[in-house]
Amino acid sequence: MKQRIALLISIFVMAVCIPAGGASAAGPPDAAGVAAAPTIQIDKTSIDNGGSIIVTGTAPVGKPVYIEVWADNQVRASRFDAEVDKDTGKRPYVLYLTNEMPAYYKIFVPKDQKENLDKIKKEGKKWSFSKALKDLGADAAYSVPAKAKIDRYQATLMGSIIGSRGDLLPQMDDKENRKRSMQLVKARFVNPDKVLGAEVVVNPDGSYTAEIKVRKGLTPGKYNIVAAVDKNLRSRPLTFENRISFPLIYLSNAGTSLNIFGPFFLTLAIAIFGVLMGAGGGFIMNPLLVSIWPLPHTIVAGTVMPTVLFSQGSGIYNYSKIKFLNWKLGVTIGLAMVFGGFIGPKLTELITLAQFKFVFGWILLILAGLMFWQTTPGYISKNKKEQAILKEFKKKAEEAAGAKKKA
Amino acid sequence: MTVEFWGHEFKVNVILGCLGGFLIAIVSSMFGFGGGPFMVPLMTVGLGLPMYVVVGSSLLAIFFNTLMGTARHYQFGNFDPVFFLIMFPAAILGGFIAPQIAKRVSPLTVKRIAVAGLVLLALNLLGVY
Repeated sequence: MKQRIALLISIFVMAVCIPAGGASAAGPPDAAGVAAAPTIQIDKTSIDNGGSIIVTGTAPVGKPVYIEVWADNQVRASRFDAEVDKDTGKRPYVLYLTNEMPAYYKIFVPKDQKENLDKIKKEGKKWSFSKALKDLGADAAYSVPAKAKIDRYQATLMGSIIGSRGDLLPQMDDKENRKRSMQLVKARFVNPDKVLGAEVVVNPDGSYTAEIKVRKGLTPGKYNIVAAVDKNLRSRPLTFENRISFPLIYLSNAGTSLNIFGPFFLTLAIAIFGVLMGAGGGFIMNPLLVSIWPLPHTIVAGTVMPTVLFSQGSGIYNYSKIKFLNWKLGVTIGLAMVFGGFIGPKLTELITLAQFKFVFGWILLILAGLMFWQTTPGYISKNKKEQAILKEFKKKAEEAAGAKKKA
Repeated sequence: MTVEFWGHEFKVNVILGCLGGFLIAIVSSMFGFGGGPFMVPLMTVGLGLPMYVVVGSSLLAIFFNTLMGTARHYQFGNFDPVFFLIMFPAAILGGFIAPQIAKRVSPLTVKRIAVAGLVLLALNLLGVY
């Protein structure tokens, strides 16, 4: 009987603590029932393009402390689920998409979990964020991305052909949303290093310290930091500011800060080289961009493509001035290409960065093969004749255009 | 389809041209590159057209794809305006500088360097090293 009463009391206390714990996030820390919640202090309130912050505080004795850090700035994350479902044996083909993923998110776990974390890192590409959270005991600390609004679309073959994302499925419940948000965290941040760190030193007296290192090249703005021992015992959030200044610039859609001179000179070099070798720079540009900077492949593909519009347009204008293009041929094939161009961008978000790199690897090998063929003696001699005819025709065309102008 | 170009007539296999163009457009817009190096061999080798017909017309065909691909990427939120504003001037500037250098280097050398560079980059992407 005594045990039962004790149980009842503890349930009652918990019931009181749950809302109080939740409210403490906004309210003052000294509210009733929050006595057990961890406290938190940080040694500075701003950093410049990354830096380290010492976090200290106290938590209930004997409990592990987890520190959750996230940025206010948000980015998009998406994941296409085409893996066979263990229960039904079918492939779901569902696209999960959120625009509310924090541009920076990381959970710091106690230092004694370092071995477990190293194990997760060794799993390579196949690591699972939800399993990692469980293994590290950090499940309870995971909260912010779980609240992101996630849309899901049922993709169909027909839908992909006509280039739609598919039917919007009903909103998921909180539990499912939480589970899917973990997959989106992995899809967005890719490496365990980016979202997990074993840095918290918990002392026997309940005090803890952690040195939190924020990398360079992350989102500027407000960062929030909370210490948690379990789901309901969370400290009030503290904030610090990550400042960046010129020549660093934040790409809001990509969620990355970078030195503007980097992409500028890379583009310049590749554009020159592209013209010299007679191929657009996009081939080299895109794989380099996703390899050098932590940029999502969707943003890279979607932003590099319009940069060539101008050069293509001016090329067409120059050729059309001397009537050196066949409109019938160009427009006919062009119309077929319009359909392809309608479908392609839709497919970009269905693949992961790893798949993007893999396919690009093969495309480049094919391209290298084509280029190599163009350096073989047989091709060169044939090409010489072709180029001579090309020059002759071009000259004629230019003369004709010039004569018309005079007349 | 018959194509007339500066007094010469060429027979073109439209089905092959359109199908090839369609597939190249899907891949190139998906991965965000132009597609010229694939279109030119398609039209010269696949359709049997001489280079002087292909240079301008392939550019025209690709332009359709780039225009559509750009609009669709924008629609799906894949366009980052700040990033674009960094790269765009560099691409234009490159277009002006390149012809100055082109006069001084042999295209064959450039192509050979490109082959080596492309293979290296490809192997890196495929995780070979």
